[in-house]
Amino acid sequence: MAPTRTIKNKHSGGSKSKDSGGSKRSSSDGVTKRKPSSSSKSKTPIPSSQVKGRPNLKGLDKKKKKKVYSEKELGIPELNMVTPVGVTKPKGKKKGKVFVDDRESMNTILAIVQAEKEGQIESKLIKARQMEEIREARKVEADKKEAERKAKLEETKDSLRKKRKKPDTKKRDEDEEHFKAASASGSKAAKPKSKKRVSFAAPEE
Amino acid sequence: MRALTDEEMKTVLDKLANYMSDLKSLIAPLEDGDRYVFRLNHSRVYYVKLSIANLATSIARDSLLSLGTCLGKLTKTGKFRLHITALPIIAAGARHKIWVKENGAQPFLYGSNVVKAHVGRWSEDCPEHQGCVVYSMADIPLGFGVTARSTTEARRLDPTGVVCFRQADCGEYLRDEDTLFAG
Repeated sequence: MAPTRTIKNKHSGGSKSKDSGGSKRSSSDGVTKRKPSSSSKSKTPIPSSQVKGRPNLKGLDKKKKKKVYSEKELGIPELNMVTPVGVTKPKGKKKGKVFVDDRESMNTILAIVQAEKEGQIESKLIKARQMEEIREARKVEADKKEAERKAKLEETKDSLRKKRKKPDTKKRDEDEEHFKAASASGSKAAKPKSKKRVSFAAPEE
Repeated sequence: MRALTDEEMKTVLDKLANYMSDLKSLIAPLEDGDRYVFRLNHSRVYYVKLSIANLATSIARDSLLSLGTCLGKLTKTGKFRLHITALPIIAAGARHKIWVKENGAQPFLYGSNVVKAHVGRWSEDCPEHQGCVVYSMADIPLGFGVTARSTTEARRLDPTGVVCFRQADCGEYLRDEDTLFAG
């Protein structure tokens, strides 16, 4: 169907319903007469008319020959590949499956697996113990630091209290003063205060 | 139905070794001279007596629904997934155990993880992310899971903290009735 259309288009755009069966019309046009004779000719313009926008075939061939990268060359991480890691089969190995049904081979696999597992668990335990030790040491250190900090805080608090107490007692609490005086006299810790005197030295001549 | 390849056998045993301490008892010869073998049918791995497996060869693969004990399924990525049907075999040689109190048995059987408040007791020296079998206080295996914390860490955990992540529980016999044995 396609070639007839192209021919039609080439010569005249008038006869549209030709393919349905209008053989008389077509014969009057004289286009169909040429058709059988120019069938070989008509083949050549077809691709040119159809593939107008396309580049020539040589270019296509070049595109096809573009380098195809293998998965190894691309360097894609294993987990990100199209085929999962477990599914890939090693190349170069013999086809077919090797079944394990005899006791000896089963025993060897079993021993290997068990040894691997034991090792893993043992290493896990050791690691856990080490981590526990580290954690304990850190905890002890933190406790110690905390205690030190608390002691320091208490010290500063006490010193502040003492500083504050001295002026307060003199000004506000007379009772306390009395008490203090009484206690001082009782213990004889302080001597009765004498008035301070200021004397000026006589200038020497 | 066929025997397992060495790769498949390794993955299956590797998974079983997470939960069991003594694997050799699995393939030890029985008193009557028979022994247990592993068989694969429709990507399911069965643990079955050799005599029964030999008998089963007379049944077409499509017609054979199940034989022996189904241990689990081999996934398309080559991993092995244990099913709850493997519990009797795992429980017989369990490496680590957790006993849950009565108030914790039901939540576990409904598919939730084991929290510390529900634990009656646990085996000592159990590392983190290690397979363990969950028992009721009457020593009935309820399922299996993976420890969330090591025993020492779990002691410091608050009561609502998860101690064991559930992998399979007996409730699956009801919940996954349709897909557990076929499909």
